[in-house]
Formats: sequence, C-alpha cells, structure tokens
Amino acid sequence: MAEHASDTLLLRAKRRPNTRVRVNKILLTLFFVVLTIGFIFPLYWMVISSLRPDGRIFVDAFDLFPSALSIDSYRTLFEEEPFGRWIINSVVQTGGFAITALFLCTTGGYALAKFKFRGRNLLFILILVSQMIPFHLLIVSLFLMIIQLGLVENYFGAIIPIAASPIGIFFVRQYMLSIDDEMLNAARVDGANEYQIFFSVVLPNARPAIATLFILFSLEYWNNLLWPLIVFRQAENMPLAVGITRLINQYQQSYDLVMAGSTLATLPIIVLFLFLRRQVMEGLAATGTGMK
Amino acid sequence: MLRSIVAVLNHKKVVPLVFLIPFLTIFVLFKVYPVILAVIMSFQNFQGITSQEWVGLTNYENVFELVRFNQALANTTIYTIGTLLILIPLPLILAVLLDSGRVVQSTVFRTLIFLPALTSLVVAGTVFRLILAEDGFLNLFLSSTFGIQPQRWLEISNLSLPSLILVATWRWTGINILYFNSGLVNIPRELYEAAVIDGANAFQMFWRITLPLLRPTTLFVIVLSIIGGFQVFVEPFILYTGGGGPGDGGLTMALLIYRTAFTSFNFGTAAAMGVILAGIILVFSLIQFRFFGTFGREE
Repeated sequence: MAEHASDTLLLRAKRRPNTRVRVNKILLTLFFVVLTIGFIFPLYWMVISSLRPDGRIFVDAFDLFPSALSIDSYRTLFEEEPFGRWIINSVVQTGGFAITALFLCTTGGYALAKFKFRGRNLLFILILVSQMIPFHLLIVSLFLMIIQLGLVENYFGAIIPIAASPIGIFFVRQYMLSIDDEMLNAARVDGANEYQIFFSVVLPNARPAIATLFILFSLEYWNNLLWPLIVFRQAENMPLAVGITRLINQYQQSYDLVMAGSTLATLPIIVLFLFLRRQVMEGLAATGTGMK
Repeated sequence: MLRSIVAVLNHKKVVPLVFLIPFLTIFVLFKVYPVILAVIMSFQNFQGITSQEWVGLTNYENVFELVRFNQALANTTIYTIGTLLILIPLPLILAVLLDSGRVVQSTVFRTLIFLPALTSLVVAGTVFRLILAEDGFLNLFLSSTFGIQPQRWLEISNLSLPSLILVATWRWTGINILYFNSGLVNIPRELYEAAVIDGANAFQMFWRITLPLLRPTTLFVIVLSIIGGFQVFVEPFILYTGGGGPGDGGLTMALLIYRTAFTSFNFGTAAAMGVILAGIILVFSLIQFRFFGTFGREE
C-alpha cells in the first residue's frame, strides 16, 4: 500500500530535521512494538501452552520461554481423537465450499454485470437485502430442510446451503463491470458462443477477483462454526472448528490438548497468509466484512 | 437437434438465465425460502419435528416474558455498545498513527496486528479460555505488574461482558485498522500540503481533514460493528462451553436462539427470537443503506 497523504509530514521532517521528530518517531515505533507484542501474545501463548507437559500449563504460566517441551498433547490428538480425520474433513469441505461458491458467484455475477434482463434490479436488491439477514434466523428452517433432504452428516449438506454468497456475487459483479464489452463483442464476431466466451474470455480476465474470492471463501469455511456444528454430530464427519468444540466439551481441564488442536487449526492459515498477505488484506478491505 | 439446442442456449434472452440459474436456485432454496419458513414457524408450536399447530402471536408473547431473553437482549446490546466504544476509536487512532509516516515499518505492524483476524472465532475463544482462567496469564500479569487482585473472569457474571469485549478487541482491531487505512488512502494529499503551508499542526490536520473525510468509512465500520455485535455467538459459546456463562452473564441473543432450537428443541420460539433479531439488524442495515447505498463503499 502506497505511503501517501502524510508523506507531507515526512517531507516536513526532512526539511527541518529536528531531533524532536526523530524522538517522536522512535517513541511511536516503540509504542507499536509493545502493542503488537500484546496482539501476538495470545497466539504465542496458544502454541507454547500446547507444548507444555501435562499439568504444567498453569503451574509454569510465568515461564514465558519454557525449556521442557512435550508433544504428548499432539500425540493424544491423533491417537485418541480423530484429529487427522478432522483435518481431512476441513480440507475437503473447505475446497468443496470454495469451488461451489466460486462457481455460483462467477456465473451469477457475470449475468448481473453484463446482461440486461427483466427483474435484474429486483434480484439485485433481493441479494443485497439477504445479506442483512442474520444466519440465526435461518438455522431452524435450514435444519428441518436438510433433515428432509437427507443431508444431515453430509458434506453437501454442510456446503450447499451456505454457498450462495451475496457478498461473493456482488464482488464478482463489481469486478466484471470493468471487463471491456468490446472484447466480448469481438469474440462474438469471431463466432464464439456465449459459453465459450465465458470460459475463455471472461474467466481469464477475472482471474484476480477469482483468486481473491477463493482465498476469502476458504478462510470463511475453515473458520466457520455454526452451520457445520448443526450439520455434523458424528465425530468422524466434523471439520476442525467443530472438532475443537468437541474437545472442549470432552476435556474441560486438558487445556494443552485444546491448545494443540487450536494451534494445528491456525498455523497453516497464518503460514499461507504470509504468502498471500496483500490479496487477503486488500480483498477483505474490498468486500467489507461478512467473511468471518 | 443438437444445433437447435445450441441456438436456443445462445439466444440473447436465454443466456443470462442459464448463467443465473445455479446461483438463483441455491439462493431461493436456501436463503429466501428458509426466511419465509422461519417467519411461518414463529407463529407455530412444534411437537417434535413434523407436527405443528398455528398459535398466532403466542411465541412472541412468550419470548418477551422470558427472563433469559430479556437478559440476552440486554447483554447483546451492552456488548455491542462496548465493542463500539473500543473498536471504533482505537483502530481509527492506530490507523492514523500508522499512516502518519512517523512509524518505522508500519506495514509490518499493520500485518501483525491483523493476524488475530485470521484465527477462527473458535480458536479465539479457546485461547482466551486459557488466558482468562483464574490462574491464567491475565491474572498473573495483572497481579505481578499492577498488583491487581486476581479476578475470576469466566466465573463471575459481571465480568462476562468485559471478557467478551476483550476477545472482540483482540480479534477485530486489526481488521478495523484495515478498513480505516483504505479510507485514509483516499484522502487527497494536497489537502495536507495546503494545511501545512497554512501552518496547521498535526492535531489540527487530524481534526479538520482526516476525521471529516474519514466519515463515510467510520460510519461504515460503525454499522458493521453493530450488525456483527448483535450476532455474536461463537465467542460466548466457546468461553462458556455452550451455556450462557455464570448467571447468564454472557448469554447473547444468537446463543439463546441456538440453545432454544438445539438444546430445548423449541423451534417455534427459536424462530420468533430469530425474527426479532433480524428485525433489530434490519433497522441498522437500513441506516447503512440510507447513508451509503448498497454495500457501503461502492466506488
């Protein structure tokens, strides 16, 4: 992100290089160092607590850099709980959700952006209004529906009902508005049919938006609790988020175990984020929230 | 035959329909229809899953007579106000400071403070269960550094909302900084240059230029925080192991709806509560609509 507006302050500082500005700068930076440590600390605490030997979590709490580390909690997770299974479930369900939602939003967003048809504005407003409806209003009716459809304990039951993302289709539509109509018309003149145009002209041109949405959708499902919590009661079908709540219920006092689970659910995301930082942060800023 | 199918599919009027059908089907089936169903259910009494009878407004009357509901409504409102009081000014000031050119490596700080936003709310909950525990780190830190008596954060009703607000501060500050930052980027730098020439100091520039021009972003973040605050669910669900916390001090509306539906299996009542929650959120969303049109920051 570009440095901008208050570059003027910098300019001023350069023009009159006085020590006060420099001291301010050092103090302010120090302030942010302390603040940032505060924000990062809980994550560090999660990792370090997961590695403390059983029963030492609170006893040694003031030992910030413990030397006696143990991976027992991780072993328990994989040997006594279906944690490996939960990871696989999370990966598969997250991938399935991101691809499904992306398919719905790119096709739908394209129709909204590039075609005029009756009821378009009405539909657009309906999609926007739906964004305001709290999911908690839907949980009972959706639950009864997936029972009737036989989708309880089913990956499709976890994915499909939440895949029509209003923010997603809105984001795609906004992006596709910027695709040049001339380009589409040129393809039409060349004899391409509408579906060839979509796959070979529109989608390649929307690649940045698609990549951003894929990341945001993945993050959304990976971190989602409520709907998978309702769909899955059997341990072997759960994704990580639901699995961890199960750990809390089962091992109320075994914080090391819960921390190990939390660590494994979080670290991959943070590592991936470090590679995709710009896309994630700009994407989130562009779509507003809604992605939780 | 095949050629005529292609011709139909390629027809000007058919094409948008084909592209719309996947989204529209899922949208109508799993968003529009369940809302209608939920409103209908809020007027019904359920025995088991399949048999129901029409009871008019009884569910709504019962809901407002429920002590727990009124407590949940109060808790949720206080929580939302509490998060607003912290999560607007704090990130705003931090964003402005990070943007002032007076912080070395501001992008690194922005990124690191953002990290908590990547954790799932479940993980945020589990981590703070540990930190807020009676002999957990927060108490150790407070008592050894400031000599403050250890508090039973998770076991005392009055401390439930402060605990939840603490979690919210940790989880959302970074992302709100992000929103404010993208608002700051759009303020033309000429304004500051002109102000400097006129002899304005940094504080005056903040008050007279930054704050007024950041107003759309600020309102946007306020509305988002209100809408999000009223739906708070996962944090108390994890901190209090699915319950409402001590004396229901951490019971929120969303949590009560979930429990009414899936612990008490009182579908009609849960639906009525859902309609009320939706009504509250709709009011605030309409304010957003009124102020910004559509999604807030349409360019």
